[in-house]
Amino acid sequence: MTTPHIIREFDEAMDRLRDQVLGMAGQTQLNLERAMDALLTRNIDLSKVVIADDNDVDELEREIDSLGMDVLLRFHPVASDLRVVITSMKVSSNLERISDHAVNIAKRAKKMSKRAELPETQWLEPVYTLALQGLRRSMQAYTDRNSELGLSLDTQDKELDRIHKKVIANLSALLEEGGERSEDFLHLIFVARSLERIGDLAVNIGEDAVFLDLARDVRHEKNREDILSPDTQEPGEDAS
Amino acid sequence: MKPKAPESKTHESLIEIKDVDFCYGNAKALDGIDLTVRRNEIVAFIGPSGCGKSTLLRCVNRMNDLVPGARVTRGTIEIEGVEIHSPEVDPVELRRRVGMVFQKSNPFPQTIYENVCYGPKLSGIKDKSELDGIVETALQGAALWDEVKDRLHTSANGLSGGQQQRLCIARSIAVRPEILLMDEPCSALDPLATAKVEELILNLKEEFTIVMVTHNMQQATRVSDRTAFFYMGRLIEFDETATLFTTPSCKETEDYISGRFG
Repeated sequence: MTTPHIIREFDEAMDRLRDQVLGMAGQTQLNLERAMDALLTRNIDLSKVVIADDNDVDELEREIDSLGMDVLLRFHPVASDLRVVITSMKVSSNLERISDHAVNIAKRAKKMSKRAELPETQWLEPVYTLALQGLRRSMQAYTDRNSELGLSLDTQDKELDRIHKKVIANLSALLEEGGERSEDFLHLIFVARSLERIGDLAVNIGEDAVFLDLARDVRHEKNREDILSPDTQEPGEDAS
Repeated sequence: MKPKAPESKTHESLIEIKDVDFCYGNAKALDGIDLTVRRNEIVAFIGPSGCGKSTLLRCVNRMNDLVPGARVTRGTIEIEGVEIHSPEVDPVELRRRVGMVFQKSNPFPQTIYENVCYGPKLSGIKDKSELDGIVETALQGAALWDEVKDRLHTSANGLSGGQQQRLCIARSIAVRPEILLMDEPCSALDPLATAKVEELILNLKEEFTIVMVTHNMQQATRVSDRTAFFYMGRLIEFDETATLFTTPSCKETEDYISGRFG
């Protein structure tokens, strides 16, 4: 358990920062779920809700940055406190981009809902399932400071990439055939692309969680298998 | 658990403190301190009041000899391999080699010039032009020359607090020490004067080895290469400053530097 800070306001500011990030994650996940629900159930009203709610996510990103700056300015945090502030600001930036992708999906869902139903839309469900799972797990890794879970996001994302590639290939084949549904196939390709990007952004959040837990920057590292072995951990990784 | 001091293979050790206990009368102030300072590095000592950091600093030039009942009761302190308590070491010569700058600037009630040449004169230098050269070099080294060159023969008490502290640094370096000990050198200064002294400390590193006590965590991160954290007379952790302030090994260190102590 963390020892309370001598200045109570510091702990309160840090709690506020964490709460805002978790609130933003909840709203972002809801936006993604609603956007895909709107696509799969052809619900125009739900699409509009997602597009409107993105403003809340944007506002939360600004608030988190402002809170983070405030903590840096007033309290000069160090060690794991500093990592909490930096990580929270980075996670919020990734969440904002995920919410933007949810809006992209919602906009395409709105357009597609005005046209005849397309059975191939269901092909996106497995891509969506993995993207949503990635988002949930990455936020779990951040909340629990769980580097193991954070690192596992990369492996899971490879599976998402594999399915995404397959779906894109199938949709591209249909697109090449031409016909009146070409525009819809193009919409689905872009939705699949957004889901794949959400998977990548979840990997980023997972990497942020590793940094938060171990003070280890694993971005762009190829051999991640060794990161958690005791021989490769850096000093201080068992602190706090 | 003994704190692990980073081993140095590539840097030359200058001060080696080995298993040192220190007592004021019957009260133990330092307990089994092991610490090595490399040549031309800046080491910061941090820790809560009464943790022993200033006591250890004063051990290095035997300033504590002047305190009745205070003594090293175990262990050794070596500078360039010579135990500083051995009979052949003259404490006065030791203090020439290991200068000290205090928390509050303490210029002598004399002129700026006389303050700086006091030490060199004591060591027997009488030649006026040689003394002039030493004064100019020391004041330039302390980043004070440009501000005082036209009033060298006016009272040092007419200088601002920050200038007085830099004058004390000039006075210390005028006798060409190898090591400078600084006990909270900026705690009585305003932010601008503090910045000037910090800049000076960083420049002095090229010529001197510096050990400083500071209560200012940001100062330790800005200035020092390595930082030692003391608590209740023990060295808890000693590491590269960047490491200690980002990924400390000990919970006590993290609690102290992040304001969660006590």
